[in-house]
Amino acid sequence: MLELRLVQGSLLKKVLEAIKDLVNDANFDCSSSGFSLQAMDSSHVALVALLLRSEGFEHYRCDRNMSMGMNLGNMSKMLKCAGNDDIITIKGDDGSDTVTFMFESPTQDKIADFEMKLMDIDSEHLGIPEAEYQAIVTMPSSEFARICKDLSSIGDTVVISVTKEGVKFSTRGDIGTANIVLRQNTTVDKPEDATVIEMNEPVSLTFALRYMNSFTKATSLSNTVKISLSSELPVVVEYKIAEMGYVRFYLAPKIEEDEDENETKPKV
Amino acid sequence: METLGILDEIEVLVSDKVQVVSYKWLSRNFLVSSNAAKRLLQEFVNTRGSGFEVVYTLSGWLKNNPSSYHIRLVSGPKLEEAKQEFNGNCSVQVYSVQACIPKDPAALWNAEFVQAEELFKQSFTVDNCLRDNRFCGIRNSFVKHNVDGPAASIAAPQPKSAEIPVPLKSNSGCQNISAPPSKQTKFHQSPNVGPESPNLESSVKSERNGTGVHDLATKQTVDEEKVLLLPAGKKKGQGNRISSGNGGSLSNLWGRASAKSKLSSAQADNDKHIPNPTVSAEAQISACEVREIESSDDEAQGVNFKRASNGDNSRKRMVVLDYSDDEYEDAVNLASPELPKGQSSATLLLRDDTSVVKSIDSKTSSLEKIQSNMTLCDVKKDMAADAAPNSPKRRKVLKTRIDERGREVTEVVWEGEETETNKVESQDSKKEAENNADTNTANNRAPPIKKSPAAGNGAPSNPGSKAGNKKGGNKDPKQGNILSFFKRV
Repeated sequence: MLELRLVQGSLLKKVLEAIKDLVNDANFDCSSSGFSLQAMDSSHVALVALLLRSEGFEHYRCDRNMSMGMNLGNMSKMLKCAGNDDIITIKGDDGSDTVTFMFESPTQDKIADFEMKLMDIDSEHLGIPEAEYQAIVTMPSSEFARICKDLSSIGDTVVISVTKEGVKFSTRGDIGTANIVLRQNTTVDKPEDATVIEMNEPVSLTFALRYMNSFTKATSLSNTVKISLSSELPVVVEYKIAEMGYVRFYLAPKIEEDEDENETKPKV
Repeated sequence: METLGILDEIEVLVSDKVQVVSYKWLSRNFLVSSNAAKRLLQEFVNTRGSGFEVVYTLSGWLKNNPSSYHIRLVSGPKLEEAKQEFNGNCSVQVYSVQACIPKDPAALWNAEFVQAEELFKQSFTVDNCLRDNRFCGIRNSFVKHNVDGPAASIAAPQPKSAEIPVPLKSNSGCQNISAPPSKQTKFHQSPNVGPESPNLESSVKSERNGTGVHDLATKQTVDEEKVLLLPAGKKKGQGNRISSGNGGSLSNLWGRASAKSKLSSAQADNDKHIPNPTVSAEAQISACEVREIESSDDEAQGVNFKRASNGDNSRKRMVVLDYSDDEYEDAVNLASPELPKGQSSATLLLRDDTSVVKSIDSKTSSLEKIQSNMTLCDVKKDMAADAAPNSPKRRKVLKTRIDERGREVTEVVWEGEETETNKVESQDSKKEAENNADTNTANNRAPPIKKSPAAGNGAPSNPGSKAGNKKGGNKDPKQGNILSFFKRV
C-alpha cells in the first residue's frame, strides 16, 4: 500500500515536465525514505536522478518498497490535468498494475481521480559514487538556461571551463564562435542571484548542448542550479526541489577533439 | 617444454589476471601460428579441465537454412546443443578461455583488440606479426604487403607471392557478409576500391604522401585495391571494368577523396575487416561505387554504380559494411541469399553462398582455412545476438528511408535512434574528417577537389549541420557514454 500526499502538487508537475523529454519510461521507486527515480536517456549519454524525500510530503505511507514502471509521457498527460494549486496524492496497491493520481483543489470542492496503467520496465540501476568534484558552480538557473539556449543557436557543443577567473561557456559553429564568461558574484541582494564558484583545480569539459537544453527544462523547479565538474566524471546539473529533494542530471562529456589522431586506423 | 610454459602462462592469465585468452591473442603474444594457438588452447582445455570457461568456435553448414555456412561462438555447456543445429559435421575449435563467460560479449575480444591496436601503432619499419600476416591461416598470393610505408610503389595487380592483409585484425573496415531476406544495407564507410588506371592510382597515392595519420588507413586500402582488382576482373571481364574505370577517372578521384575522409572518421572505430579473397573483391568494388554515389553528386558516378548492380545475374548476397563507433555494434551474418531485384542502390551484391564458398575454397585450397577468417564474423554475430537480450534498448535494426536525392537507403541503426540522426552523424563525421584532412595535408591534396562539389550543391552538408544543431547526434563518436562512468548495480 502506497499513499503519498503532496500539497505542492505543482512540484510534481514540474518534475515531470523536466524529465519527460529525456526519458520515455522509468521506474519510480518508493521506499520509506522517499520517492525516487533513476533513468538513462535512450542513448545512454545522460542520466536523471530524482529524489523526493518522504519528509516533504504531507502524508507519506509506503508499507514496503515498490517499483512502479511508468511512461513519463502518459504520466505527464495526467498530471497536466491537475491545477497548479492542487494537492496531488499518489496511490498504489501492492501487486496492482495501476497507479492512481488524485487531485484535490485547494478549496476541496473538486476532487479528480486518474488511474494510470503501470508497465514493466527493465531498468538498469547505476551506482553513482560520491565524488569530490574539481569545480562546483552555483548560479541562477535562469541564467544557465539562457546561456545554453543562446549557445545552441550557434554550436552543438559547449565547452565549460572553470578557472580562477570564472566559468566560461564557449561554443563554435558554422557561423562563428561564442564565449560567455561569468565571474564569481556574491554581492547581490538576493542569494539566489549569486554566482558562486568553488574550484579545487581548473577543469574544462565539452558537452552536447542538446542535452544541456533538455536539462534546463527543470529551471522552474529552482532559482539556482548547481553544476559540478570533474575531468574524469560526467557533469552533474542539479536543481533542488523546494526543501524536499532534487533532480540531478548527469551528462557524459564529449571526448576532446585532438584524440582523433591517436585513433588512427592501423594498416596491414 | 615450451608448450608447457605457455600453458602455465595461460593459466596465470586466466585465473590471476582474469583475462580472456583467445587464440588470436595467444598467437600474437607468443608468436605462434593461429592454428598452433588453437591447438594450444585445446590442450589447455584438455589438460587443465576446470576453473575456467571455454568459448568454442563452431562452424559448418546449418541444418535448416539451405546452403548457409554458419560460424558461431558457444560456451562450453551449450556446445552439444549448438552442435545439433549443424548439418553433419561441424568443426569445433577453442576460441578462447577465460575465468567466466563475460556478460558483455565484447569483452571476449577486448584483449586481442588492444593487442592488435598496439601492434598497428608500431612504426612501419617494425615488421610485426600483423603487418606481414605471418600467423594467419589464410594466404592470398595477390596481396603484396607494403611494409615500407605510404610511399611504396603501386603497380597494376600482379600475382606475386605475398599474403593477404591480415583478415581478422587489420583492416579499416568491416565487411559483414550477410543476406538477410529483404534487408538492404548501406555502407557508412568502406575501403575505397575502384578499378583505375595505374596512373591515376599513383597520382592519388602521391597526393596522399605526407598526410600523416590518415595514410595509415588509406594506404592499406590502396594496397587492397591492387590486390583485389585481379579476382574481380577475372570474374566479370577485366577489359570491361577497366575501361569504365578509366572513363570516370575524375569522379573516381573524387570518390577517393571522400572515401579517405570517411576512412579517417572510421579510424576511431574498432571495426574489423574480413576480406574473403573473392567476396571482398566484389564487395569492395561495389562499396566504392556506393560510396561514390553517396559522397558526390557527380552524375558519372551514378553510371559507374549501375554497372555494378546489374552486372551479375545470379543470386546475390549482400555485404553489410557498418562503421560505427561502437565496438560490438558490428553484426555479421551469413544468411540466405536474396534475389537482386528490388535491391536498393546502396546494396552490395555478392554471389550465391555456395559459389562464394567454393571460390574461396579454390583459392585458399581448404575450407578449414576460411575458418579463422570467418571467426571474427562469428564473434560479432554472436555478440550482436547476445547483446540484444542484455540491453533491450539498444537493438540493432535495419531502417529504410528515402534520402534527399530520392535514393532508397537502408541503414543499420540502433533502435530508438532515428535514421536521420544516423545520417547526420555520418555527415558530421565526414565533415570533421574533412577538416582534419585539410589541416593535416599538404596543399596539393584531393580534399579541395572533393570539397568544391560538396560546397557547390550544398545539399548533403547543410541539412546535416542544421539537423545536427537540433539533435546533436546520439551516435557522435566523441560523445561519451554514461555507462563508462557509472557501473550497473
